Amino acid sequence: MPRIEFQGVTKIYPDGTRAVANLDLVVEDGELLCLLGPSGCGKSSTIRALAGLEVVSEGVILADNNRIDHLPPQARDCAMVFENYALYPHLTAFENIAMPLRARRLPVPEIKRRVMEIARMLHIEPLMGRRPRQLSGGEKQRVGIGRALVREPAMFLMDEPLGHLEAYLRIELRAEIRRLQERLGITTIYVTHDQEEAAAIADRIVVMSGGRLQQVGSFLDLLDRPVNRFVAEFVGEPPMVFLPVERTDTNSISVKGVPLQLSEPLAAALRATKDTNLTLGVRPNDISVVPPANEHLKGVVTLVQPQGSHAIVAVSTPGGPATVIVPSDWRPAAGANVGLAFAGERLHLFDSTARSLLHNREDSNG
Amino acid sequence: MTVALIRNKDQHVSVRRSASAWPIGTVGYLVAAIFTGFCLFPFYVILTTALKTETAIFAWPPVWVFKPTLQSFYNALFVFGGRSAISYLINSIVISAVSTILAVVLGAMAAYGFVRFRFAGKRHLAFWILSTRFAPPVAFIVPIYLMVQKAGLLDSHIALILIYTAMNLSLVIWILRGFFAEIPIEIEEAALVDGYSRLQIFWRVAVPLVRPGIVSTAILSAIFSWNEFLYAMVLTQSRAATLPVYLAGFSNSMGLAWGEYMAVGAMAVLPILVFTFAVQKYLVRGLTFGAVK
Repeated sequence: MPRIEFQGVTKIYPDGTRAVANLDLVVEDGELLCLLGPSGCGKSSTIRALAGLEVVSEGVILADNNRIDHLPPQARDCAMVFENYALYPHLTAFENIAMPLRARRLPVPEIKRRVMEIARMLHIEPLMGRRPRQLSGGEKQRVGIGRALVREPAMFLMDEPLGHLEAYLRIELRAEIRRLQERLGITTIYVTHDQEEAAAIADRIVVMSGGRLQQVGSFLDLLDRPVNRFVAEFVGEPPMVFLPVERTDTNSISVKGVPLQLSEPLAAALRATKDTNLTLGVRPNDISVVPPANEHLKGVVTLVQPQGSHAIVAVSTPGGPATVIVPSDWRPAAGANVGLAFAGERLHLFDSTARSLLHNREDSNG
Repeated sequence: MTVALIRNKDQHVSVRRSASAWPIGTVGYLVAAIFTGFCLFPFYVILTTALKTETAIFAWPPVWVFKPTLQSFYNALFVFGGRSAISYLINSIVISAVSTILAVVLGAMAAYGFVRFRFAGKRHLAFWILSTRFAPPVAFIVPIYLMVQKAGLLDSHIALILIYTAMNLSLVIWILRGFFAEIPIEIEEAALVDGYSRLQIFWRVAVPLVRPGIVSTAILSAIFSWNEFLYAMVLTQSRAATLPVYLAGFSNSMGLAWGEYMAVGAMAVLPILVFTFAVQKYLVRGLTFGAVK
């Protein structure tokens, strides 16, 4: 299994859209890497460039230090799973899975053996005689995955494979994909816009936005050490709360006149910058609702959304709207006056260019 | 519908519902039957005249019930003139079949190229192909006659095959372009990733998916080639002459032998009828449905 390396890869479409800009990325042998980002962030273009379906405008793609970006798709040994399944409508499920093997002119008994083996692995043996239109969405995508796996490719590329499926099927199939990937040890790149999915199956997650790589790391890295405001906002559910900050002097800051307790590393980072246009970022989990008092930011509860184990509370504060997660046994009523207390050691500060004061050196890029 | 159901509570609601779903009642069928009969009547006359004896053909009032005879068919095929209808029939079949196959194969490849590849002047080229059909064929008859004559191809199968292929190509290309454009690109991308070359994808993925288009263009091409009269008349005399030419010559050389004339006419319709019925089961639309999404 190869180690994939993108070096300065740029993809500009004929209409001038810069889908991917100067991408440097290493995909380790055998890992499952997720490309995560909103639609139009360049994640699909990246995977398609690797598959050979798009020509790279600049930069090179290496597989085990051999250039592959000039090779036609059929020479790259990538298998791909598509969001809309892309099965051959005129062929049965069996023939669909057999197609990559027929392209390689394998002997017929060998093809039959390998297709049935994959079908067993994916629990779709009884469906082998059906055509795609007689299959449900989940069944189609199992066939799609089977077609990708059957020839034991060097790389496994999945472009939002579960995007069109229902929620319960997504959870079921993603677990299955992860199990298969671990068992076969195939280097896999998985594109998704669903952070929960990425968190559930990825070894590492690449967050992309506007064609640029924002941050690479485990899901926890992204949650706890976002390098910029985009990652902080995009990763984590419900999204991080941002509040404008007044800088009173070099050492201290406050939100609407309420001073903040800063952890030592954050205070040090604050001293190191002269930027006065700062934004506070705090996870809804790291805020607690307390009785209103002068040492806390005050606010009014506007909406309470019970979630079973917890409730999501929307609070309107002088600094802007905030979201708080509270235990379900204590639930403020809408319209209640409350105070918000922040967990001081888990605060994030972003400067005027939206970069994190604390984690901006991409030190989490391991 | 809801309103109608409430208002007609006491009437036959279920009947009304099915009628609104497919609005053909008894009257509709009657109208359809009359129209179908009207369209088929000439064909009925051709067939019955061919099966009548000479006296029965000219009987007045017309004879509706008679004992059919194959004498006219026998005469047309084996008795008439030096060359019988059968050689014209064979010419028609050969020329129509070859030109149809050529037009569909070449046209499918060209249409696929127009849909899937990016090249300079693509739209102009597509328009130019269509524009070859703008002028009435009779406008080209003299230059084409001269070309065929200079090439030494007068009265040859190859001349008609080439001309019919060229005439059908623009139609095939324009119809199949639409069909190929309907194939979701992901299916072909999947095939590329699966390890197939462009040409393999064309034959193994794209062509099977546009089969309804292939069949309909083949039918249209075959009908055109089968019925084409003007060029066949001008460019062939005997060796490569087709059935329409033979039919047109009937009245001049023989006076007018109605029975034999109608027998040849019936035979002229038959092959194309059989061909159309044989392939129309492949005219199933929506094969690509359910492939993606």
